[in-house]
Amino acid sequence: MKIRDKAFVVGCAAAVLLTSLGFTGASASVSPKKAITTKPVTLTMWWWGDQEAPGAKLWVDDTVMAYQKKHPNVTIKTVLQTTDGLVPAFAAAAAAKKGPDLQYFWGGIYAQQPGWDGQIAPVSDYIPASELKHYINATTELSFKGKIWTAPWYVNPSFPVLARTDVLSKYNLTVPTTWKDLLNVCDVLSAQGVPALAGGVKDGWFGGWLYSIIGGQSVSSSKDVVAAVVGKQKFTDAKHADWWTRLQETKEHKCWNSDINSLELYQAQQLWKDGKAAMTVVAGPDAPNFANAVGASKVVVMAMPKWGKGPFAGKMGSTSQTIGITQWSKNKEVAADFLMFSHEKAQLNNWFKRTGSMPADDRFNLNSVKDPVKKALFQSALPGGPYLENFIPAQLDTDAVFTNVQLVLNGTKTGKAAAADMQTLMERLRKTDRKLVSNFTAWSK
Amino acid sequence: MIKSVPTEFGITAPRKLGAVTGRSSRSGPFLWILPAGMCVILIFGYSIIDLVQQSFKYRGDWVGFENFSLVLTDPLFRIAIFHNFLLLFTVPILASLSFLCAVLLFETRKGMKFYRSAVFLPYILPIPVIGVVFGQLLQLNGALNSALRAMGFENLALDWLGDPGQALWTMSAIIIWKEVGFGTILILARLISLPLETIEAARIDGAGFFRLHLKVTLPQLKPVILFYIINEAIVMVSWVFNYVYVMTNGQGGPGNATVVSELYIYRSAFQNKSPELAATAALLLLLATLIFIIGFFKIQRNTNRGVFNE
Repeated sequence: MKIRDKAFVVGCAAAVLLTSLGFTGASASVSPKKAITTKPVTLTMWWWGDQEAPGAKLWVDDTVMAYQKKHPNVTIKTVLQTTDGLVPAFAAAAAAKKGPDLQYFWGGIYAQQPGWDGQIAPVSDYIPASELKHYINATTELSFKGKIWTAPWYVNPSFPVLARTDVLSKYNLTVPTTWKDLLNVCDVLSAQGVPALAGGVKDGWFGGWLYSIIGGQSVSSSKDVVAAVVGKQKFTDAKHADWWTRLQETKEHKCWNSDINSLELYQAQQLWKDGKAAMTVVAGPDAPNFANAVGASKVVVMAMPKWGKGPFAGKMGSTSQTIGITQWSKNKEVAADFLMFSHEKAQLNNWFKRTGSMPADDRFNLNSVKDPVKKALFQSALPGGPYLENFIPAQLDTDAVFTNVQLVLNGTKTGKAAAADMQTLMERLRKTDRKLVSNFTAWSK
Repeated sequence: MIKSVPTEFGITAPRKLGAVTGRSSRSGPFLWILPAGMCVILIFGYSIIDLVQQSFKYRGDWVGFENFSLVLTDPLFRIAIFHNFLLLFTVPILASLSFLCAVLLFETRKGMKFYRSAVFLPYILPIPVIGVVFGQLLQLNGALNSALRAMGFENLALDWLGDPGQALWTMSAIIIWKEVGFGTILILARLISLPLETIEAARIDGAGFFRLHLKVTLPQLKPVILFYIINEAIVMVSWVFNYVYVMTNGQGGPGNATVVSELYIYRSAFQNKSPELAATAALLLLLATLIFIIGFFKIQRNTNRGVFNE
């Protein structure tokens, strides 16, 4: 019996056992793993990730090649998407019911919504629960009514603040750990014409990061956020709105580079690399690369300085970037088999080797990580808090968070007005998306 | 003898196709355009019918005018329409600049080909290229502001695309820069085809540069300028998406400072996954554009009649 077949038997047994013990993260009706077809199959995968996990493209090429070698009848075509094009390109494909067999999704709502819209098939229909239970964040972000929509690929510790001790010490400053410290650092550095934090909000995305890492400090759990989405709480309530005031404070204390509104996120991070800013915020998978670029010994990787009293204050969030199987794919079993293949030990190790970031699988041996920066990041991601941006409607994120962060940091809107705007838009979204409340309610259960 | 009528460009054309082909049937012209007409009806007709249907439905269920109510009460849609309206103010600027450039090129004796190419070049540049170049150039610490600061104009170094108060006007200026080449070439082509006798006669009568071109040249260019004005008005209402998308990363920011109706439609359909609201907004935009097109034909007919009567 082949090793994979053995694993299958063990997996099935584990699934039955877990189901009987009340494991509800995945479907109870687990599809047994079948031998994949020997007929010629072509899969298309649209993906993203090389932007935040450089080296991902090499891993994709390696993995596809290895899978094709194992299954010569399968051909996998991969298409790397742009950041701005990832969601719209898939929306267009879904409207035409034609496009990729495998599609990359950010976690949480970005994977839930295509599931609610019938654009993807739950991976839990094709991947045994015994296998899925190893996929990090699968049940916290991706499950819905007992099914799991997509398969986590790699973990995004979200989002670390990188502080340059060389820049801070030049002005007799230490790494700030509290909000008060941070504002003090901002005051001192801005007086010297040096931004404490480098950021770019022109493309909007950074706004969502700030919401998650500052706003996450005052909520108790993702359920709080969902409660505000469905109308049981309000985005003007202190626990949801105070972060806007904190954001306003960063503007008032001149924490950011003055051109934050005219720079894209990745452009702004370059200021930090160039030593023109003391701190910046980066994507978790890319943090080790940033640290190594300027010298790891000069860099402290940490969570956003603490201001809130919530359980996640001073902690990083954790989300997994994922791959789903499209509803129109004619080769769902093969697609699922490829996903499982990508979680085999050789591929997990190769992911770490190629990208230096953490695969979303608890079978990855953390002891093999020697780099202290990476190790600290990975360890912080495992018990990480919810990544808030993934628990609100995507439209609320783009139309209220992205836009109001730009305006608050431009100084044309107050934090209070931004919170009110977010609440107004949420109320409107409950009218325009007639299924929003029921979907979010079901998701939060 | 074949009779001629002036077209919108003032160029004479055979009155009847039948006169040329020898056919006298009234259905002749329609037969000629039938294949192209069928294609247009098939492509646009189907799309418009589908658009209308979608705008009255939600996930396949009939919802009456609910989508229209949601779109028309959406503050973002109103902002988008208002921005399109503001962009219309660039049309007279475009027409004036195009006329001026065309006249200057017409009067230029040396290097006309070079100047003509230089003016037309922005028009043939791909919009994404323009977006990237201007996006870099107009950053707060970009090349333009660095140059301004170096020259001592610190106060003029604004956050051109990052300040919500400036962004739309900056975008208008970029659109003018790109679109003026089209108008210039269009007007210049007509200008070159004008009978030189009238211009020479005016010069002999002592008309200076301004009088010559305002009193003699401009009236003769009226049809082509009107065509350009209507064309650019349609551009401002329904063709500025590319500019906004590439220069704001598809966000219409900062805030909602540069959101236009097309971006609203795009975001509704592909980012927010509300195809029904997108269809409704598109239908409203189509109606608004139709008003311009009808207006264009009406003005054109009156202009032609006026020219013909003269």
